[in-house]
Amino acid sequence: MVASPTDCVIVDHVAKSFRRGSEEVHVLDELSLRVPEGEFLALMGPSGSGKTTLLNLIAGLDRPTSGEVTVRGEPISRLSEGKLALWRTRNIGFVFQFYHLLPVLSAYRNVELPLLLLPMTAAQRRQQVEMALNIVNLSDRMHHRPGQLSGGQQQRVGIARALVTDPALIVADEPTGDLDSKAAEEILALLVALKSSLNKTIVMVTHDPKAAARADRTLHLEKGKLVDEVYGAHTFSGVH
Amino acid sequence: MGLTLRLAWLVLDNTFRNPLRTLLTALGTVALVLVVTLVYTVLDNLDRITTEKSANLKLIATEKWQIPSQLPYRYVAGLAQGAAKSETDTRPTDYMSWAFFLGSLEADQSSRDFNSFIFAFVMEPEKVLTMMDELDELSPDSSDYKNLAAAVEKLKQNKQGIILGQSRMKKLNKKVGDRFKLYSRNYKDISLEFEIVGTFPQGRYDESTTFRRDYLNSALDQYQRDKGKAHPLADKSLNLVWLRVPTRDAFNEVANQIAEAPEFSAPAVKVETASSGIGNFLEGYRDLLWGARFLLAPACMATLALVIANSISISVRERQQEFAVMKVLGFQPYQILLLVLGEALFVGVVAGFFSATATYAFINFGLGGLPFKIGFLPTFDVPVSAILVGTFMGAGTALLGSLIPAWSACSVKVSEIFSRVT
Repeated sequence: MVASPTDCVIVDHVAKSFRRGSEEVHVLDELSLRVPEGEFLALMGPSGSGKTTLLNLIAGLDRPTSGEVTVRGEPISRLSEGKLALWRTRNIGFVFQFYHLLPVLSAYRNVELPLLLLPMTAAQRRQQVEMALNIVNLSDRMHHRPGQLSGGQQQRVGIARALVTDPALIVADEPTGDLDSKAAEEILALLVALKSSLNKTIVMVTHDPKAAARADRTLHLEKGKLVDEVYGAHTFSGVH
Repeated sequence: MGLTLRLAWLVLDNTFRNPLRTLLTALGTVALVLVVTLVYTVLDNLDRITTEKSANLKLIATEKWQIPSQLPYRYVAGLAQGAAKSETDTRPTDYMSWAFFLGSLEADQSSRDFNSFIFAFVMEPEKVLTMMDELDELSPDSSDYKNLAAAVEKLKQNKQGIILGQSRMKKLNKKVGDRFKLYSRNYKDISLEFEIVGTFPQGRYDESTTFRRDYLNSALDQYQRDKGKAHPLADKSLNLVWLRVPTRDAFNEVANQIAEAPEFSAPAVKVETASSGIGNFLEGYRDLLWGARFLLAPACMATLALVIANSISISVRERQQEFAVMKVLGFQPYQILLLVLGEALFVGVVAGFFSATATYAFINFGLGGLPFKIGFLPTFDVPVSAILVGTFMGAGTALLGSLIPAWSACSVKVSEIFSRVT
């Protein structure tokens, strides 16, 4: 696969299999895709289709059995565990379905967490954290602990935490899956705003067609293969 | 360094996430460090008092072949001179003779109880301030010294005087100036009348008493006059003699002089340093002390390690997703390992330091020392080093107990925690 200077993510003939007892489970099968810089991509598919596995590979949380994942020119499958961890801090923002905020830390300190790993002064960290919380419109809740925030607010803290290191790529695993429709709509609007105003590349796994409709493009997976591609209202079936 | 400090804040936050569990773990640590501190205190003090000095040594002269030692009183004069015969022979710089006198205030044996008993060192009164352990180190400016010196002065002037330990006097329900009659238990048919002339300073001699040697001698003489024969212990009324010498060479010379002196051959006398004598005395407790050092202390540490391991394991199990999230955010396995170890270390250090310091303060300043009721051993002060040992003990066992949970935390596989294949 020939890289284009505008590609943020290139997944090149990636296969992933797990052993479950004596059985070999093939989760992804020679899958290839590109995600241009600034694109909002949605991944859909039934349970077991490999969406989250693909997301984990793109985010550098797992390694492919074969094939290559390149993010912004960096072949991340070849990085050591330590370098991959640092690479994630600088280049990936991760948004979880269940927020996964540390309950003992305030919103401010949850957002600050990834910055602790970077060589920054306290003043620089404060500036970044306040900016991220401002973007998600939670400046007035920065000293609240997760238990004192609503689900939508917690997810916004999660997004601020994903944003705070100013990564090029944000991966989101069903970010609206645990929210009511109103909060979900707010989160989707926020993701769209991040894409359009900050030019973030976003890869989002979702089961919700309404959420996917907010993306620039939607890829459908089945049994580890891409089977469908939707640009806005247009559908291109048989994509592999 | 910057990262370590930043992680330290996280350690503090996590430590107080479940205050009850942290408190219980800390209390377990406090209790076990307390036991280890007490064991350490006893062993450290025994080590100290059985360690040979190189100068200003105290020697003990006792009967060579018999325990309890029972020498004739006539030995005192010669032993006090170290059996020196000529001008060139080495002489001790000071001496003190002891006879042990056990008696009760109750004449009727059936009504005697522990509180009515007195155990006395029968000795030369002027030696109380110059030869008795710890009393010979009192500062002349201290009130303890001044009070004791006044009591000794009264004892010198009053043959029937007696100095009591404060705790013993309280148990006897007496006060300074009171008179009482003491019926001897080991000197059969000897009873002595006393007037309390003062007390020992609080501490080591709380249960001890002392009265004049010449009063016992007079009583033994009176017995002979009354009964027409010598008292059975008349020629066995010297239990031991303390000698002070300036150097180890002087000790060797004095010991040789006494060993070779024919006047100390029947019964024969042996001379040893006080520390060696105490060491020999403690031989009888060897198994007990071995058990304290090599079984009790390690058992406490192992228990403490298990308590901490259990607590940290529960915490790690509850926080597996958090550790996975931290890995997603870029935390490396070693940083998560340090985080968990740091939490245990924090609890261990704080609880260990608190426990050892509180034990130090309570025993040294509250109780006036740890009573160790074996022989004439002093009360033991908790050494300052016990604070360091207790802190290290808390820290070490916390680290030991948290190793496996910490390893389990840093080995969390992100893809397994979050991977639902969807």
